[in-house]
Amino acid sequence: MARMKFLCDADRCIECNGCVTACKNVNEVPWGVNRRRVVTLNDGLPGEKSISVACMHCTDAPCAAVCPVDCFYTTDDGIVLHDKDLCIGCGYCFYACPFGAPQFPKTEAFGVRGKMDKCTFCAGGPDGDGSEEEFTKYGANRISEGKLPACAEMCATKALLAGDADMVADIYRERVMRRGGRPQTWGWSQAYGEG
Amino acid sequence: MKRTIPRILILTVIALALAGCYESASVTRHEPGVYKGEQDPLVNKLANDDGLREQLDQRFDGQRDR
Repeated sequence: MARMKFLCDADRCIECNGCVTACKNVNEVPWGVNRRRVVTLNDGLPGEKSISVACMHCTDAPCAAVCPVDCFYTTDDGIVLHDKDLCIGCGYCFYACPFGAPQFPKTEAFGVRGKMDKCTFCAGGPDGDGSEEEFTKYGANRISEGKLPACAEMCATKALLAGDADMVADIYRERVMRRGGRPQTWGWSQAYGEG
Repeated sequence: MKRTIPRILILTVIALALAGCYESASVTRHEPGVYKGEQDPLVNKLANDDGLREQLDQRFDGQRDR
């Protein structure tokens, strides 16, 4: 059984925001909701790094652990999804998530939180696959059509990889070997410098 | 005829008012750690549809550099 994961190769990401646009476009995400963002470290300085961030579909998802109504479920492939009919929009998941993935559209006056919205790995939600209701609530269900998430599929430099964790790791390992040296995306030198 | 129309109107207003007071009896009772939402058909599809699995694997593999 696969474990679906995203991996962003910071050496390849050029901060074009194509993934953000693809996500918005395919899922018709409303204004004020960003299921995916590109974060840039040391912006404008030599050696700046960008990384595309969304829900990382954690194996032991903290959002699901803190949800007071247990609206989260995980598919056998490790895609973390939720039921908007159960969600009460409390925002606990937002505090628990280390990536800031859960989003809350302001649907009413006075900043009242709407139902939580987040990246679904383009796998829709619990409503019938490909149904109008599913699209309105959760966006496109590309996985059921045998397609990759739109963000990864649209990435011009193939910095953003999506799919089975083993396969994604294998692709990344191949790249690092070809570049020569250690991967500088994550690890000691990236966090603490060369010293 | 003059009395019938107001009667129908009053009955309609009463019916609408009663319908507005209706409360759904099917409440989801929470149990800690138990997901009680709708079952996602994709879960079964991914578990049983080998064709879909193969198609997805091909797509994942297509992300390699050429």
